[in-house]
Amino acid sequence: MHRRPAALLALTAASALVLAGCSAAEPAETPSTPAAGGTLTYATGFGEPTCLDPHVGGNMPQALVGTNVLESLFSQNEEGEIVPWLATGATVSDDGLTVDVALRDDVTFTDGTPFDASAVVANVEHMKDPETASSTAILALGKVTEVTAVDPTTARFTLSEPDSALQESLAQTWLAMESPAGLARGMDENCAGPIGTGAFVFTEWVQQDHVTLTRNEDWNSAPEGAANDGPAYLDEIVWRFIPDPATRFAALQSGEVDVIDEMQPDNVVAVQEAAATGGDFDVLTGALPGASIRLELNSGYAPFDDERVRKAFIHSADVNPGIESLFFGTVDRSYSVLSSSTPFGASFESEYAIDSDLANKLLDEAGWTSRDAEGYRVKDGKRLTVDFPISTNQSIPAEVSLFEQIQATTKAVGFDVQLRPLDLSSWYGALAEWDFGVTSAIYTKNSPDVLRILYHSDNIQPAPSGYHPNHSHVDIPELDAALTEAGQTSDPAERAALYEEAQQILAEGAYVLPLYDHLTKIGYSTDVQGLSLLPTLQIPYFGDAWVQE
Amino acid sequence: MIGEDPGRSSSAAGSKGGFPPLRRAGRIGLRVLGGVFVLWAAATLTFFGLRLIPGDPAQAILGGPGSQASAEALAAVRAEYGLDQSIWAQYGLYLSRLLGGDLGSSYSLRTPVSEVIGAQIGGTLLLAVLALAVAWAIALGLAVWSTRGGRVAGVVGSGLEIVAAAVPHFWLATVLVLIFSTTLRWLPAVSTQGPEGLVLPVLTLALPLAGFLGQVMRESVLDALDAPFVLSALARGEGESGVRWRHVLRHGALPGIALSGWAFGWLISGAVVVETIFARPGLGRTLLNAVQLRDVPLVIGVVLVVALGYVIMTVLTDAVSRVADPRLAVRERELERVS
Repeated sequence: MHRRPAALLALTAASALVLAGCSAAEPAETPSTPAAGGTLTYATGFGEPTCLDPHVGGNMPQALVGTNVLESLFSQNEEGEIVPWLATGATVSDDGLTVDVALRDDVTFTDGTPFDASAVVANVEHMKDPETASSTAILALGKVTEVTAVDPTTARFTLSEPDSALQESLAQTWLAMESPAGLARGMDENCAGPIGTGAFVFTEWVQQDHVTLTRNEDWNSAPEGAANDGPAYLDEIVWRFIPDPATRFAALQSGEVDVIDEMQPDNVVAVQEAAATGGDFDVLTGALPGASIRLELNSGYAPFDDERVRKAFIHSADVNPGIESLFFGTVDRSYSVLSSSTPFGASFESEYAIDSDLANKLLDEAGWTSRDAEGYRVKDGKRLTVDFPISTNQSIPAEVSLFEQIQATTKAVGFDVQLRPLDLSSWYGALAEWDFGVTSAIYTKNSPDVLRILYHSDNIQPAPSGYHPNHSHVDIPELDAALTEAGQTSDPAERAALYEEAQQILAEGAYVLPLYDHLTKIGYSTDVQGLSLLPTLQIPYFGDAWVQE
Repeated sequence: MIGEDPGRSSSAAGSKGGFPPLRRAGRIGLRVLGGVFVLWAAATLTFFGLRLIPGDPAQAILGGPGSQASAEALAAVRAEYGLDQSIWAQYGLYLSRLLGGDLGSSYSLRTPVSEVIGAQIGGTLLLAVLALAVAWAIALGLAVWSTRGGRVAGVVGSGLEIVAAAVPHFWLATVLVLIFSTTLRWLPAVSTQGPEGLVLPVLTLALPLAGFLGQVMRESVLDALDAPFVLSALARGEGESGVRWRHVLRHGALPGIALSGWAFGWLISGAVVVETIFARPGLGRTLLNAVQLRDVPLVIGVVLVVALGYVIMTVLTDAVSRVADPRLAVRERELERVS
């Protein structure tokens, strides 16, 4: 490993400072100049991808590691606005059915293949090919019928209907651009190491242990807003898989790793308190875009097919004390179905007020008039039972405790909430069979169009996939109309009005109980400088990062 | 199978009045048959067990937190892996492939199961063997010390063993990490390439096992100390420690040896927890991931390998018992003569 003389000098100066500063007051955090070199170790709790190509399937573990290697056509800034990345801009036709995407002409994939319009065509075809078994990308490209290369720097997207979320979709790592020559190697080889244009290259994958990413010396295509336009400072990133949150945090504390994700709320608070007095670690948090963490009430089946019962549940589920105590102030209560980082979110706080008198009255009206020996309400000899499957892969322990508090507070008015912790596959199974009264599901998408996916009646029908994003079983023509129209119009004011209308329908019908934002919680050693979250999916971005020795 | 008297099983199953070599062949044949049966039962129970728990493998293959599979993608995956056929057809297909020595291909990793296991088995075996060795060392030391040190040592030794045996792996692992990684910073919390990364995982597995082994060994060491042969050895003029190490310990180790076959299976199940907590690659973590993904071929593959290891360990402990305790072979010969 060779280091630049300047970095060496800085290192000597820094150690002299440490030696001299022993008795002096804490030296002020001086923004050090970026130094090239060094290895950064990242420990993820999101799990290990089974395929590194995010076109295949398409989940968070793939996006997290993939963002360092694969770049997208667009990116988003802090405000959620589309900014250029591999594309320089887009022109939408008047009817909204043709989108010409202008591309950079100076970017090359790390295997030497030039990035151009034909590469975009090859990528979209790969994502739409059933053989690829894409789930996220294929859904995001649902309205795209064809992509053609008009000239080397113009890719023309032809749509079946206008899609206001197209550029947001294209900003996701699941729709990132890969080398066409790399894709042509076939799925097995491409899964082991997709080839991109990014700051790093996949060089090694030791399963269950780590993936090694090595600097791309020719990288020149940082997203707009990045501090460094290439190459990256770090020589190497070692991407480790450490499933246990306590071990992950211990590894950060003992200096074995530099950055961790999926921190537990109590660790976040401990690090933040220590950081305030000059600790060695700090935390980076960001609200994941898409839907907030929320309870979905299954309105298709008893007992929540009765709006009065849904309202009674929502007016008796007292979640605020739980959020405050269990999450140590790391999250705020949300009254919006959309995450705070997603545009067009609307809050309807009064619809979620706690009112046990009202809840009791509503249950009486709904015919749940008598109570059994244990205090649960009964109608026609049947207890007012609400089945609540919990995915233990998705819900952290604090969240499960919060659900226990919901169970306790709704019991006061006579609900028998049955918590059912399940592993991921069993949980999917319960959802597919509509075998639940209420559940909590995550949906990350960097666009308010997530509302259409979650609450349009088209997404109720299970056949043949078995999966239905519309867990609440919401089927309201006015809601469908508002969501469809909002997905087609590109006028911001009109979109805002339509999305507000949609969220109002959901709040007034008591289909969803919003809880809080789904947070990315990154812990890092303060030796790591220049670390940020890429706003699109709140994924850690290492193109600007360096390690201060 | 553990602790069973090999002589008895051979006399019950062997042909009466046959020649001894034939009987030995029969005994070995029976062992092989039993082993095959164990493997078949393990594969079958796992196959149907995985179908009994709800969940769609196709959904899990494509899904994962934060992504939703489309209908087309699911249909493609079901067709690719034969998940659209009846469960009996899938079982038949699987079993026939298995007979041909083909463990199949992992749903989730898209690589042959044998390759996945080949890549992961080394780490787990190393962990299990080291843990077994360390557990033996601790248990022997404790047994000798506590039987020699009088009443107090006996109480302390037995107390330590009970506590160690009762401690769950996940708790022990967390406490060890807290002490040696977070506070003292002597050892890494997660696995490293070097030997220092092995210390905490091995200790986590070895300590509870040492508790079990120590308990049974101390019992029989105490029995042996009262046995007449100790007195006669002492009378022959052998020294106190010579008697203790050569005669008494050999006697005391017997139940420990018998227990080691069982301990192997127990260590593998412990490896699931230990490998997850210490982020070590290995069969245990492979198994956990595979179960969560309903990766049937991979789960059965790992279960078969573990079952095979268990069968081999049982045979080995039988053999070692014979070497350590010549009385077993003598008793067998006597039984053969009688029958």
